Amino acid sequence: MSALPQHLRVWAASARYSLTRAMMFRGDFIIWSLVELFWMGVNLLLVEVIYRHTDSIAGWNRAEMLLLLGTSLLIQRLLMGFFWSGLYDLGRNVRNGHLDFFLAQPGSVMFMVSTRKLDPDGLVNSVVALGLVIYAAGELGLRPGPGQLALYAVLVGCGLVIHYSVLMLSTASVFWLTSAQGVEGGYFSLIEFSRMPREAFRGAAEVIFVWMLPVVVVSNAPARVLLHGFEPVWALGLAGFAALWLGLAVLIFHRGLRRYASASS
Amino acid sequence: MLRAAGKYRQAFLLGLQGSLVYRWNFAVRGFFSLFHLAAVFILWGAAFAGREQVGGFDLRQTLTYFTTILFLQFLISAFNEDYQISEEIRQGLINQFLLKPINYFLYRLSIFAAARLVSGALILLPLAAAYPFIHDALAFPGEPWRLAAAVPALVLSALVQFTIAYCFGLLTFWFLEIQGLVVLSMAVEAVLGGQIFPLDLLPPALHAVARFLPFYYQMYFPAAILTGRIGPVETAEGLALQAGWVVLLLLLAHALWVRGLRRHTAVGG
Repeated sequence: MSALPQHLRVWAASARYSLTRAMMFRGDFIIWSLVELFWMGVNLLLVEVIYRHTDSIAGWNRAEMLLLLGTSLLIQRLLMGFFWSGLYDLGRNVRNGHLDFFLAQPGSVMFMVSTRKLDPDGLVNSVVALGLVIYAAGELGLRPGPGQLALYAVLVGCGLVIHYSVLMLSTASVFWLTSAQGVEGGYFSLIEFSRMPREAFRGAAEVIFVWMLPVVVVSNAPARVLLHGFEPVWALGLAGFAALWLGLAVLIFHRGLRRYASASS
Repeated sequence: MLRAAGKYRQAFLLGLQGSLVYRWNFAVRGFFSLFHLAAVFILWGAAFAGREQVGGFDLRQTLTYFTTILFLQFLISAFNEDYQISEEIRQGLINQFLLKPINYFLYRLSIFAAARLVSGALILLPLAAAYPFIHDALAFPGEPWRLAAAVPALVLSALVQFTIAYCFGLLTFWFLEIQGLVVLSMAVEAVLGGQIFPLDLLPPALHAVARFLPFYYQMYFPAAILTGRIGPVETAEGLALQAGWVVLLLLLAHALWVRGLRRHTAVGG
């Protein structure tokens, strides 16, 4: 039996389990969906308040900014839906020895820990984020063709890979630090930059957040596809960043795994 | 009286030890908060491009406000006190306090004070490291009365923050899981507490309503005093309203505690 179909079957079983669990605890599902919706609302409110006092941020008008924000939130919600719970648990599982359970499973440990849980509330809100993108595109009078939409989807996928890799790198620090609680926060600090136009970054900030860390390009590249069509530098740049950061995350996770000494009796 | 103070001094010292165990977590969290500050500087720098003022304040005043907010988040914010209280109720650990001559609110408040002392001191390290790069962007008003007014405002803000967290923790007497409610309220508190944007940038009607809510006194009020966003009259009125909210929240906390204990069942030896 080849590895990919087997892993996909495991993922499908985990997804079914997560959905069943979410429907068993419907109150929790509704509350957490509202939590995500409220935090998305907070970001939206920030944009609305700033544009009450100005017409442009780094050359981007309100609707363009909403398109960028929607794209950034879409990628983030997809990450929350597909991977957040698994990676959040990883930090605790390494500390208390429950990672043993994953080591005993027949498959890639990194895949197993990442896909163990699915959060339907994150996925529900990804639809809301997509709605924001569609609204902003409507405000701008954009009529993207099928090619543009397909490229947008591919680049959102690349963005998801980058977000996943950065979160995995933050969480994998638990193999060295014992507790990754403060470091996980690093991921949330970094994604703030993905809601800003690339043109806002100058000098050292441009070098660090545009060229060294992939936090700006991750949402700017897909948003620019809808605004300006195919731009090879942005599209290929994002794909390259995605491959690079995923490779780094795989490397660091497996290095960390070698340090894992279990904690159970 | 002194013996009672001694109990809470011991709780404070225990809290200090407990927080120092997690000093690296606080330090890392403090370091990453510089990324947040960088994001704020970049976003508002771009919003101010070509403009002298936004909402009646210049760029330096706005950046000073956000830097102050960052410091206050580590100095007076409730981090996970609601969760800790919730866990103590859920796991029955609270039972030990019911049998001892100790006030649970004051015990928890002592631990909160110790934790904020550690986190407030640790955030100074990354801020000191960043200072050479940001000091040109900062402009604190030089009026001495602001410092005098900020001290009671900060103490009352910490009490508002802690008591709200305490009340959320006590909700565990009624609900098994409160984390969702806590994170939901965090979004409201972040906006209405002025952590996302200065509240004076809201439309005037909304700003006027926000002034009468407790969230205004969690973070925005002391930050506005320290950074010159409000004058002496508004400060005096604010201190009175803030004290009123502290009293109301303490009464609410007491009522929740009394009613919650009636529902509580202590099981086991």
